[in-house]
Amino acid sequence: MNSEWFLNVENVLFTGAMVAYLVSMVLYFVFFAMKNEKAGKIAGWVIAAGFVLHTAALLVRGIGAGRLPLTNQYEFATSFAWGICLCFLIFLWRFRFQALGAFVTPVIFLVIGYAAMQSREVRSLMPALRSNWLAIHVSTAIISYGAFGVSFAVSLMFLIRRKMEGHSFWEIHVPDEKKLDLISYRAVSLGFLFLTFVIVTGAIWAERAWGSYWAWDPKETWSLITWIIYAMYLHLRISRGWKGKAAAVFAVIGFVCVIFTYIGVNTFIPSIHSYA
Amino acid sequence: MNPLKKAGRFLCSMKCAMILLVILALACTAGSMIPQQKVMSYYTDAYPQWAAGAIMLFGLHDVFHCRWFLGLTLFLCVNLVFCNIRHFPQLKRRMKAGFSLEACLKDNKRESLCQVENAKTLFQKMGFSKPEESNVEGTVCLYGVRNKAGIWGAWLCHLGMLIIIAGFGLGQMFQTEYTVYGVKGQTKTVGDSGYELTIDDFEIRLRDDDTVEQYEASVTVTDPVTGEKRSGKTSVNAPVSLFGMKYYQNSTGWAAKVSVWKDDEEIQDDLLCVGEYVKTKEKEDLVLMLRAFYPDYARDDLGNPMTVSSALHHPAYLYALYYQDQMLGMNLLEEGEEITVDNYTFRFHDPQPYTLIQAKKDPFTCLAALGGLFVVTALILAFYIRPEEMWAMKNEDGSWSVFGRSKKGGSMFEEKIFEKSEEIKWKERKNL
Repeated sequence: MNSEWFLNVENVLFTGAMVAYLVSMVLYFVFFAMKNEKAGKIAGWVIAAGFVLHTAALLVRGIGAGRLPLTNQYEFATSFAWGICLCFLIFLWRFRFQALGAFVTPVIFLVIGYAAMQSREVRSLMPALRSNWLAIHVSTAIISYGAFGVSFAVSLMFLIRRKMEGHSFWEIHVPDEKKLDLISYRAVSLGFLFLTFVIVTGAIWAERAWGSYWAWDPKETWSLITWIIYAMYLHLRISRGWKGKAAAVFAVIGFVCVIFTYIGVNTFIPSIHSYA
Repeated sequence: MNPLKKAGRFLCSMKCAMILLVILALACTAGSMIPQQKVMSYYTDAYPQWAAGAIMLFGLHDVFHCRWFLGLTLFLCVNLVFCNIRHFPQLKRRMKAGFSLEACLKDNKRESLCQVENAKTLFQKMGFSKPEESNVEGTVCLYGVRNKAGIWGAWLCHLGMLIIIAGFGLGQMFQTEYTVYGVKGQTKTVGDSGYELTIDDFEIRLRDDDTVEQYEASVTVTDPVTGEKRSGKTSVNAPVSLFGMKYYQNSTGWAAKVSVWKDDEEIQDDLLCVGEYVKTKEKEDLVLMLRAFYPDYARDDLGNPMTVSSALHHPAYLYALYYQDQMLGMNLLEEGEEITVDNYTFRFHDPQPYTLIQAKKDPFTCLAALGGLFVVTALILAFYIRPEEMWAMKNEDGSWSVFGRSKKGGSMFEEKIFEKSEEIKWKERKNL
């Protein structure tokens, strides 16, 4: 079995995962729009199956490439989608509400769709990326971004739920505002902790690779901006009681920053992180 | 209130901290969007006049080093210091006396979460292994508390941030940084540090597909005072530390020797890195510059020079020749070719890769690292070590009324107590 074989298998698994995410997104839509509870249950199983296929795709690519698949736009995008799915499944297991899937699956599908548009070629690692810190730095970024993705979806639910007051389907299947707010807060807490890990491990790695742990590179700067926005969210929520709508709006803005840090900086601003 | 006191109170408030964070975030946004540290003409060419004027006026061309940015950061530090000073006694008091059965019993608003027959089992199920039993005004009570340390999370996080900013600021002020470049065998002085660096070896390790696997330089540093020599290898991601200074394999490029002949007699033979120039010894106005080097020279579809690989298969030199600051010409020379001007002849030979070594000493990096450790630990404390209190009061019929509170995620803690109590009841009913 050569690396090409592994990459062909990865291609099949990746496509399978993408189709599974698409199907679960449609089923969640049916669940929500047509109030079909069975569709919601099937969607849960389909996304779990998609996650298994996605995990297998990443493992196979890792074996085929002979390294962790975390080094270029395609690999990070597919891992990012995997991270959102992982965080979604954890929150689904922890808080037990299927309706969350209706808001998370479109985000997963968009991110994996972005991955599908990138080049899947396996390139050799440049010397700067040959470091053990790569695995720690990027994997913490995946968890962090994944958790922020979930908080974004929950916050959207929160904002829509307000308009659905008295709607029986929402009353049954979507937790009350207080709980949604708490779930969003928990997701932001997880994402914020991991974002801090990302910045700290990135600084340690930068010190070893470039001789400077902080150089105001656009990627670093935007990570800091994202960190500041979520820090403000946490402060205002804890100290000034900015719960509910204000917190939800903040969480949505925060995720927009996350997306800009990930895609926008690479696309629009020259940076030494351009390979990421 | 005294206006001065009022201003002082505002400067130490969270409202002020939020305003500062917003301004700093906006400044960072500008700093990432506007190319930094360019010459003034760059901004006047690239932006409309009013925008270029605003960039210069507010120092947005070097925002991370401009005074107002540094002032705001300092301001934020002061705010954090006062915030921590103000909260320290409160937290200390809370740690000492805030967690107690008495304090819980005063919390009249709480309603009993559940009624159970065996409260100790529920306490154990909830992770309170040894609840304290006491008698309060004739009522038997059980009380358990855990994760008290969690209240220090935010405080420690602020302290960590202060340490990071202090470490970074001091590092910027006192760090020393030099760059040294050269080819194998060359010895150069490391800036004004006095140390001498010899490049013993420099290797570019290539893979089968001609991509670079690693750049590795072996260096020896000589102490000018004692004459002591220390050697080590430095490669990308693995700097070497010699005499307290770290040496990084920063980048690489091509160099070549250029020999200058006058009337068939060699008058000089210098090493030139790409971008460097050499003045002719006997005619200093005549200058030759090595503009670019192509180790495996070819031309692309448009006829532009390019290199097919990084191997030395077909070397070619792009040179520029100047006389009295006027360019005489620019062209490509292949191996063995030469340029002649009057009775001077220039010939490139012995192309070889050079290495650029960065030497750096920042005694405050450890401080910033310590701050980072503090912040991460503090966030774990703040988010995942949630102080939780649980208490139960014995009723007249022998059952227990159970209560619980947790400042962070209190409703979930209460739900968990209820769920566990139902689980115990279910097991009791089934005699499990």
